[in-house]
Amino acid sequence: MSQLADLAPAPVPAGRRTPWRRTPWRRTVRSIRFLVPAAMLALLVVIALFPSLFAGLFGNGDPRVCDLRMSGDAPAPGHPFGYDLQGCDVYANVIYGTQSSLAVGVFTTMLATVAAVVLGTIAGYRGGAADWIISRLTDVFLGFPFLLGAIVVLTSIGQRSVLTVSLVLSLFGWPLMARLVRGSVRSVRNADYVRAARTMGIGTGRIISHHVLPNALAPVLVIATITTGSVIVAESSLTYLGIGLEAPAISWGLQLASASSQFLSSPHLLVFPSLFLAVTVLSIISLGDTLRSTLDPRRQQ
Amino acid sequence: MKHPALALLGAASVVVLALSACTSGGEGADATGDRTIVFATGEPDHLTPGRQTVAFDQVLSVFAPLVTLNEQNELEYVQAESIESDDATTWTITLKDGWTFHNGEPVTAHSYVDAWNHTAYGPNSWENSGQLASISGYADLNPTEGEPVAETMSGLAVVDELTFTVELIGPDSQFPLQLSSGQTGFYPMPEAAYEDLDAYDRRPIGNGPFEMTEPWEDNAEFTVSAYDDYAGEQPTIDGVTFRSYTDMNTAYTDVLAGNADVVFVPAGKMTNAGADFGDRLYAFEAPGVDYLGFPLWDPRYASTELRQAISMAIDRDAVNEAIYGGIHEPATALTAPSMAGTPEGVCGEYCEFDPDAAKALLEQAGGFEGTMEIIYPGGLGIDSLFEAYANQIRQNLGIADVVAKPTTDWAEYYESLTSKTVTGPHFGHWGALYASQQNTLRSLFTETGGCYDCTAYSNAEVDALLAEADAAPTLDESYALYAEVQEVVLEDFPTVPTFSNKYPYVTSPKIAELPAVSGSVVLSLVELSEG
Repeated sequence: MSQLADLAPAPVPAGRRTPWRRTPWRRTVRSIRFLVPAAMLALLVVIALFPSLFAGLFGNGDPRVCDLRMSGDAPAPGHPFGYDLQGCDVYANVIYGTQSSLAVGVFTTMLATVAAVVLGTIAGYRGGAADWIISRLTDVFLGFPFLLGAIVVLTSIGQRSVLTVSLVLSLFGWPLMARLVRGSVRSVRNADYVRAARTMGIGTGRIISHHVLPNALAPVLVIATITTGSVIVAESSLTYLGIGLEAPAISWGLQLASASSQFLSSPHLLVFPSLFLAVTVLSIISLGDTLRSTLDPRRQQ
Repeated sequence: MKHPALALLGAASVVVLALSACTSGGEGADATGDRTIVFATGEPDHLTPGRQTVAFDQVLSVFAPLVTLNEQNELEYVQAESIESDDATTWTITLKDGWTFHNGEPVTAHSYVDAWNHTAYGPNSWENSGQLASISGYADLNPTEGEPVAETMSGLAVVDELTFTVELIGPDSQFPLQLSSGQTGFYPMPEAAYEDLDAYDRRPIGNGPFEMTEPWEDNAEFTVSAYDDYAGEQPTIDGVTFRSYTDMNTAYTDVLAGNADVVFVPAGKMTNAGADFGDRLYAFEAPGVDYLGFPLWDPRYASTELRQAISMAIDRDAVNEAIYGGIHEPATALTAPSMAGTPEGVCGEYCEFDPDAAKALLEQAGGFEGTMEIIYPGGLGIDSLFEAYANQIRQNLGIADVVAKPTTDWAEYYESLTSKTVTGPHFGHWGALYASQQNTLRSLFTETGGCYDCTAYSNAEVDALLAEADAAPTLDESYALYAEVQEVVLEDFPTVPTFSNKYPYVTSPKIAELPAVSGSVVLSLVELSEG
């Protein structure tokens, strides 16, 4: 326990906030390991926010304009990624698909992180019965097979949209992070500066928000980033299995699902959405990795 | 004859949705001279002909029907010597002499009459009882309330060893067609069957080209072998192994790999079947039709012009090419061309793709407000088909919101039809068990025909014309009247005819030629490749 406490970030003296960030952050921001994935992600976010700007680049920007007679045809001028089974432009669809995939990823992670921080902090800071109950709850969720749970919940929901899919994914995503938050909070709970704050008569809420959380959140941010990547993959897998998003939503998972049966005759249907999916997930995860080494005191020599 | 389409599709969905996997163990290398084939199929429900609803191929190999159809879709006798009537109400069926069941018992008039009575008897609740409903006295065995007042149908009478008569409740020129292979409720059973019907269900004794050599056990394959004393056309192969698959996509892959020899192509594989199998893909004309039904009680869909506009907005040829790999045939009438006398082209311009005319019709109908939901049963692998319909209707009619919406499963879809809660144009399919227009037209377009919920359409004029057609003295005269029925129905345009089915099968290289009747394979006449 004492060793863990040693690893906890240094106390934050009043008045000088977060000096620990300065040096490693600067170094990181300049490094190529941060710049490349960050730039890729920024581009994807812009695409997700304004898909119409990009979809129209080759003159066929409407993902819902389809000519069945071109079904499965290979890339052609104006249609750089070719046509899908329905004869729609694959490029426009992949561009529009960015939105729902990223939305699910970000939304799920936000929900899961908020839940994890609240519950993890209660468990870690209060201890006792609250800790026991929350810890067992996370155990139950972690012990439950994710796919099975997601299938059961999603099938019974009926209406499946970005919102409901995110809710279900975050339902199964929060426990891991909650456990992490609990650990970090416990490790700083009895640190000298927290005790000092307590002796000074500062309220619990203020102690948590000003002294505990800022020092406990770093590892959560790293995990949250990486979670975003795995959530996007999870959404695609669920959609591929037919229980995630459903048409007429446009998502990479849906495109992969319909492409898989045509893979031999029209490989381009599978290649382009997977490429976007892979690049997105790779960018997010390597960004998370960079963050991890930045925020991890052990790797800062 | 209650819900053949329901039965067929129910079977399909069971196959698709079943959870447990089933053995598909590899088969040893083909020994030279091995003249048996492996037929990949779903798990049977029953093997007794009066009970089965999904085990057609198995039962058809063990039993011989009274009649079958030849390549021109004309009637041909198998077990029957003749089927004749003067008034289309009382039919005399004479059997061929010298036919025996696999246990040596001769096939007699009693084999038929007893089996039909047993199948029809209400308290037995055999699945195919409904097929016999047009025989006089059926109602006595199946009262709506209380106990049956008789155990045998008054309409059946044995004349001699090989002859019996059937009296129908009304004239029906199509009766001989009803006796063809698909309606297994009309099959005979030997006396030995009644000793232990449960054992018989596992190991039926039939009068067909193949005999059971071992009882069928749940989820295990079983083999039927050629019956040496078969009095009909001798089987060309030594036997057939029926192997059950819970996922027909696996079965398809197994045939592709040569682990099994014949399989019905699952819906999701149709696009690729041609590329995967080349000339080992067979598409048999089948007595089935696909259509889009409508919630006719919904004011938004009440306009005939709107429904015609939707029909003309669908490019059936393009859909066929893209989704079905060109296997099906765009519909031009309410029944499939394999139904004798089908008036091909009766739907006319309304079944042809013409986006401009479609838009004009939509305007005439006063346009369409709101979201058009096209409902189809999920889990059958027909998602891309309905997505294509939705795309076409949206683009070609300029309706902003057209969505293809799957239900969770078949049950939910069917429930939405029976409870009249379906919210838009919906999936429709009718697979008839015998090749007469009568069955499809009666089932879909009359109130008492069996599938009134499928279309929610009925019309007194249609009822009268159908009765007249059924009573026609000759088949040709009946065809003319059925054609008239189609014209009358199409004036109201209650459904959008989309495709006439072909039932696609693929085979391993072991099979050189796959013969079929009315869309189902004739296993006894399969030709094997040399060497």
